[in-house]
Amino acid sequence: MQQAVAAPLPAAGKRSGNFGDKVFAGVAHASGYFVLALLGGIIVVLFMGGYKAFHQFGAFFLVSTEWEPVQEIFGAAVPIFGTVVTAILALLMAVPLAFGIAFYLTELAPMWFRRPVSTAIELLAAVPSIIYGMWGFFVVVPIMAEYIQPAVIDTIGELPLIGPLFQGPPFGTGILTAAFILAIMIIPFIAATMRDVFETVPAVYKESAYGVGCTTWEVMRSVVIPYTRASVVGGIMLGLGRALGETMAVTFVIGNTNRIATTLFGPGNTIASIVALEFPEAEAGSLKLSSLLALGFVLFVISFIVLAISRALLRPGAKS
Amino acid sequence: MSATLATQSLPGPAKNIEVARSLGSQRHRTNQIVKVLCVAATAIGLIFLASILSTLLIRGVGGISLTVFTTSTLPPGSQGGLLNAIIGSLIQTFIGAAIGTPIGLMVGTYLAEYAQQSKVGNAVRFVSDILLSAPSILIGLFVYQLVVTPFGGFSGIAGCIALAVIVIPIVVRTTEDMLRLIPATLREAVIGLGAPKWKMIVLICYRAAKEGIATGILLAVARVAGETAPLLFTSLGNLNWSTDLTKPLASLPVTIYQYAGSPFADWVQLAWVGALLITFGVLAINIGARLMLRRGK
Amino acid sequence: MSTTLTQSTQDNASFGGIQARATSTMNAARIAISNLDFFYGDHRALKGITLDLPDRQVTGMIGPSGCGKSTLLRVLNRMYDLYPGQRSTGQAMMDGMNIIDPGVDLNALRARIGMVFQKPTPFPMTIYENIAFGVKLHEKLSKAEMDERVEWSLTRGALWGEVKDRLHTSAMGLSGGQQQRLCIARTIAVRPEVILFDEPTSALDPISTLKIEELIDELKHDFTIAIVTHNMQQAARCADQVAFFYLGEMVECAPAAQIFTAPKEKRTQEYVTGRFG
Repeated sequence: MQQAVAAPLPAAGKRSGNFGDKVFAGVAHASGYFVLALLGGIIVVLFMGGYKAFHQFGAFFLVSTEWEPVQEIFGAAVPIFGTVVTAILALLMAVPLAFGIAFYLTELAPMWFRRPVSTAIELLAAVPSIIYGMWGFFVVVPIMAEYIQPAVIDTIGELPLIGPLFQGPPFGTGILTAAFILAIMIIPFIAATMRDVFETVPAVYKESAYGVGCTTWEVMRSVVIPYTRASVVGGIMLGLGRALGETMAVTFVIGNTNRIATTLFGPGNTIASIVALEFPEAEAGSLKLSSLLALGFVLFVISFIVLAISRALLRPGAKS
Repeated sequence: MSATLATQSLPGPAKNIEVARSLGSQRHRTNQIVKVLCVAATAIGLIFLASILSTLLIRGVGGISLTVFTTSTLPPGSQGGLLNAIIGSLIQTFIGAAIGTPIGLMVGTYLAEYAQQSKVGNAVRFVSDILLSAPSILIGLFVYQLVVTPFGGFSGIAGCIALAVIVIPIVVRTTEDMLRLIPATLREAVIGLGAPKWKMIVLICYRAAKEGIATGILLAVARVAGETAPLLFTSLGNLNWSTDLTKPLASLPVTIYQYAGSPFADWVQLAWVGALLITFGVLAINIGARLMLRRGK
Repeated sequence: MSTTLTQSTQDNASFGGIQARATSTMNAARIAISNLDFFYGDHRALKGITLDLPDRQVTGMIGPSGCGKSTLLRVLNRMYDLYPGQRSTGQAMMDGMNIIDPGVDLNALRARIGMVFQKPTPFPMTIYENIAFGVKLHEKLSKAEMDERVEWSLTRGALWGEVKDRLHTSAMGLSGGQQQRLCIARTIAVRPEVILFDEPTSALDPISTLKIEELIDELKHDFTIAIVTHNMQQAARCADQVAFFYLGEMVECAPAAQIFTAPKEKRTQEYVTGRFG
C-alpha cells in the first residue's frame, strides 16, 4: 500500500486542463456576446425594415390616424393608441385581482392550500395565448354582448362624465373585451411577482406589527407594501410589458378596426393585432410591409422601456 | 391595558377605552372586508382557469377521433385531421429547443460562472431579461427579415429559429439561477482536487443543478409549443402534408388560428380539438417540470 | 493514542487538562513558508508568515476567528485564485518550487496538495464515482486499477467496511461523518503529498470527530498534514507542532507539548488558557 503514496510529479511547464478551460471559457463568453448581438440585431433589423416608412412619412407616421393601403398612406396613431389603452385598462383590472391573490396566498390561505392554488394561478400563465383568443371569442364575447354590455350601458352608461365611455352597440368585441382578456393573461405574472416579493419581508417586521395589535390588513398596508413597494411596481410593469405585445388573444376579440374608439365597447386594434392581420397581405418590399415593420419597431421601443423599468425595480440588488 | 394604569399615567381618561373599542371593531370590520375581497379575487382567478379548461373539454373532447391523428388537414367537409399540424409542431418545437437550449445553457453558465460582477455580464443579464418578456411577434418579424426574406420564402427552419430565440432567455434564466444555488464549498472541493474549471462546471455543477436546468428546458418547450405569432411570419403554416424544413411547415397553433376564425363548422371543431391537445399537453409539461424541480430539492 | 504526555502539574487548572503529544523532534520541512503576505483587496490578512510544515507530521493551526489560519491554508493550494482581488506575496517553497508563483500549474499543484473542508462536500454521484472523479483528473487507469484504487483509498479513509456493499449508491445518502471520511478518501485517492484540513470536524458529532482524529493520526505516516482547528484539545491530540495565529500574524510555533504547557509568548498563553478567543 505504501507505494501508492508517491504522487505523480507534473511535467514542468505543462499546464493540465488549460486548453479545455480556454475553449470552454471562450464558448461561454461568445454565448454572452451572442445574446447582446441578438438584441442589437432585433433593433437594427426592425429599424432597417421600417426605414422606408419612417423615411416616407417622418414624424407624421406616429401621429397620423390614417391607414389606407390603397393610397399607400400609413399612420401608426390608432394602433399605438389601442396598444396603450388596452394595456392600461388591463392593468386597472388585473392589479387589484393580482394583489388580492398574492395577499391571499402569502397571508390568508391555509398552508396546505397555498401550493395547489399557487400552481393553478401559475398554470394560467402557461396557457398559450391563442387559447385565450378562442376562449375570449367563443365564451367571453357572447357573454359580454348579451349580458354585461347591455347592463352596463343601461346603468353606468347613463351617468354624466364617464357615461359616454360605456355606450354604443353591444357587439361583445372591442377595446374593453380585449383589455379584459389581457387582464386575465397578465394576472398570473403580477400575482406571482407580488407573492414572491411579499415573502421576502422578514417575519420579524410583520411580527412586530402584529405585536402592537395590527390586523392582517394593517400589517399588509403599513409594513409589507411599504417594504416591497418598488418590487410591486416592478411586477406591475412586467405585466404591462406582457400586455403591450400580446398578439393572438387580442386579435380575436378587439374588432380590428383602424379607428380611435370613443367608447370602451368600440372596436379598435393594437400594433400586434394589425401586424398579425395585415402581414399576409403585405408584399415583400412594399411600403405597407415597411410600415408594419416600423410598427414593430415602435412596439419594441415601448416594450423595451417598460421592461427596463420593471427590471430596474425588480432587481435593485442584482449586484449582490 | 388596565384602567388603573390609564388613569394614573396617561393623559387620556378612561373613556379612551370606549374609543379604542369602537375603533377596534371598525378596524376588525375593514380587515374582514379585505379578507373576503382577497378570497374572492383568488376564486375569480381559479374560475377563469376552470372556465378555460372546461370550455376546451366540452367543445374539444367530442371531436377527438382517430382521424385527427391519422389524417392531415383537408378542405372543409372532407373529414380532415391534424396530423400534419401535430407533426409540424413537434418538429419545430424539438428543433427550436435543440438549437436554443445549448446556447441558453452556455449563456447561463457564462453569467453564473464567468461574469458575476462584470459590466458585460450585467449587460447580458439585462438583455436576456428583456428578451424573456419581449413580444414574441417581434421575434417573428425579426426572423422574417433575417431568414425568410433573404432565403427565398417561408420555411420550417425559419420557424425553428424563431422558437429557438424564444427558448434562449428562458433557459438562461433558470440555468443561471440554478448554478448560483450551488454552494461555494462544493466548487472549492472540486477545484481542490485539481480539476480545471470547465470540468468542475460540466461534471459537477451541471449534475448538481440538473433538475433545475431540466425544469427550465421543459418550461421553455411548453412555452414555444403554444407560440403562434412568431410562426405566422416564419413557417407560415401548410395545409398539405410536409416535413420539408425548407418549405412552409404546418403547426398546431397556426392551424388553430386559421380554423377557429373560419366559417366552417368542421374546421372550428378541429380547432377546438387542437386547442384541447395543445393546452393539456403544455399544462402537463408544466406540471411535470414543477414536480421534477420539487423532487430535486 | 500512544504517545501522550500528561502535562506538568503546576498549571493543571489553567490548561484545562489538555494532553499534548510528546513529539519534539521535527522532520525536515515539506513546505517551507517564509515572509508570506496575503491581501483581500487592500486588507492585509496575513503578515510575514514564516513557518515550516515538517514532512509526515501534523501541524496544527489555532487562533481566534479571523486570525488568518484558514487563509494560510487556502494560500497553500492556491484556492484564493478563484476569487478576483485576492493575492499573495512571499514564499512557500515545495521541492524548489514557489507555490504562489503565478506560473505554477494549479491543477497539478492541487493534485499534490489536497484539501478537506469544514463541511462534507460529497459530489452528487455514487460513492465509487466520488473517489474515481479525482483520480480520473490526473491519471488514466484501467477498470481493475481503478477498482483497486477506490478500495485502497476508502480503506485508508476508514470507510471501506461501511460502504463496500453500496459503492454504487449515491454518496448523498451517507451520514455526515461518513461523508467527511469519503471526502478524505477522495483526497487521498489522488495521492497527494500534503493534505490540508480546514476545521474538518466542526460540523460533526463527537464520535465522528474521534474517528476523523484517529484517521489523521494514521494518515500522517504517509502524508504531510496541516489542520486548522478551533478546538484546542483537537490540536493537542492530533498535532506534532502547533502554530498560534493572531490578527494575521503567526505568534508562535512550537511542538504541541510546549505550546500547551510552556508557551513563550504571553498572547499564546492567554489564548490556550481560554482568556480570549
